[in-house]
Amino acid sequence: MKMFSFNLVRSQLPAWARPAAMALVLAVTSVAPVAAQETLKAATDCAYFPFSFRDTDGALKGYEVDLGEEMARRANFKIEWVCQKFDGLIPSLLSNKFDIILSTMSITDERRKSIDFSVSYRVSVGQFVGPKGKVQKLFNADGTPNPAGFKDLRVGLARATTYDNWMQAKVPDATLVRYDTDVQMYLELKAGRVDVLMTNPLKIYLEFLSKPDGGGFEVIGPQIKDEKYFGIGVGAGVRKGNEALLKRIDTALNDMKKDGTLERYSKKYFPFTIY
Amino acid sequence: MSSAWVESFLWGSLLIVRVFSVALILTVVWGMLGASAKMSKNWLLRRVANIYTSVFRGTPELLVVLILYFGSAITLTWLVKLVNPDVKFVDIPPFWAGALAISLIVGAYATETFRGALQGIDAGQTEAARTLGLTRWQIFAYVELPQMWRLALPGLGNHMTSIIKDTALLSVIGVEEITYTAEMATALTGKPFSMYMIVAGIYLCFTTLVVFSVARLETRANRYLVKSR
Repeated sequence: MKMFSFNLVRSQLPAWARPAAMALVLAVTSVAPVAAQETLKAATDCAYFPFSFRDTDGALKGYEVDLGEEMARRANFKIEWVCQKFDGLIPSLLSNKFDIILSTMSITDERRKSIDFSVSYRVSVGQFVGPKGKVQKLFNADGTPNPAGFKDLRVGLARATTYDNWMQAKVPDATLVRYDTDVQMYLELKAGRVDVLMTNPLKIYLEFLSKPDGGGFEVIGPQIKDEKYFGIGVGAGVRKGNEALLKRIDTALNDMKKDGTLERYSKKYFPFTIY
Repeated sequence: MSSAWVESFLWGSLLIVRVFSVALILTVVWGMLGASAKMSKNWLLRRVANIYTSVFRGTPELLVVLILYFGSAITLTWLVKLVNPDVKFVDIPPFWAGALAISLIVGAYATETFRGALQGIDAGQTEAARTLGLTRWQIFAYVELPQMWRLALPGLGNHMTSIIKDTALLSVIGVEEITYTAEMATALTGKPFSMYMIVAGIYLCFTTLVVFSVARLETRANRYLVKSR
């Protein structure tokens, strides 16, 4: 192959251009794909605590970094991390700059048109949060919302979100108070102007419950999984046409869910599981 | 703030200097070529220059950076794959793609600045030079360039600060510039305000340096006018 292209270049180009062309061909052909263990590049945001972030020494850490390293070990490849801001992730993946996206990217139909996703490794769910021990009976025994429990309750949530849509569909009689920002919502809960919040458990844990301000408040009831409203969750992204790789990733992720590895990684940063 | 972040900010500042140096040279090149083309007698050159300035002044800067980087990477990868199908990805160094993109954008503005400056020179000057028998190149180098320089400087100073500020766009193509560093530091420290203030401070240092240098250059370029007043 090398000799062939070498001769081809040599025979058709003027003498002055030959050295340059030779150098190009050699440079290109010497990129050897053969290695004992395949190395795949994985891109992550590096600025999204606690999923992927740099610690004070500059080392890359986080739920997705733990998960990526372990996933690579199980699927038998070496992983090399690349920091890429969220906006450039899909175009960079498509232009082969790296092979896997592990950057808290929610699985959506829109994105599925351009890339493939693994099984989800982080949930998208809704969660009620309120003062410790005060709010009860929001749910029936079978896990469905109990409309009677919402009587006399003011439910705070962010305007025009999936949580808003879910409440309107599932508990149409509830009294909703809508806010423009999450911070506003936390302050109102603290001040007692709303009784419970319906929101993203990961976000409220990081921004409110884990802070001194959030003492005295807790998550109420189960995490509400409803794909129709909240989506499937966050998955690893790969280029289309990589079914073999995707299968290896899926197998590794499913095993990690089953044997408690993901639970261990979740509990490093959250008091609950996040997959 | 830990030393790792200080180091990141230092590297990021160095990156600004590097992008600025490369982009400024290219900006002046594009600007001079564009201005000459716009004032050329050849309609094709004028048309090309007009398309250049309309396109690069009329599209969002972020988009130009993205298109130039990903567009060239995909095209080059495709070309190399024709020779060697085993190659997965030919990476254009994001630094060069970014500096080129910034220079093309700012060069489009500089084209108009330089054209204005060239047209601002008293027609009698070039006519006199021609009468003296100077060649076209001599007229450009000894008569037009020193005088247009004086007129172009204030505008060029603005373009230089634009170049510095545009470096903040480059994180989207994988260049680790200081805004991205600040975001990474914020993820850990939870203090976005102080981190962004550091970034603003760094940018302000660079732009102030440029503004002062340009002011000095302007004084120098105008020195013979000041005396005659």
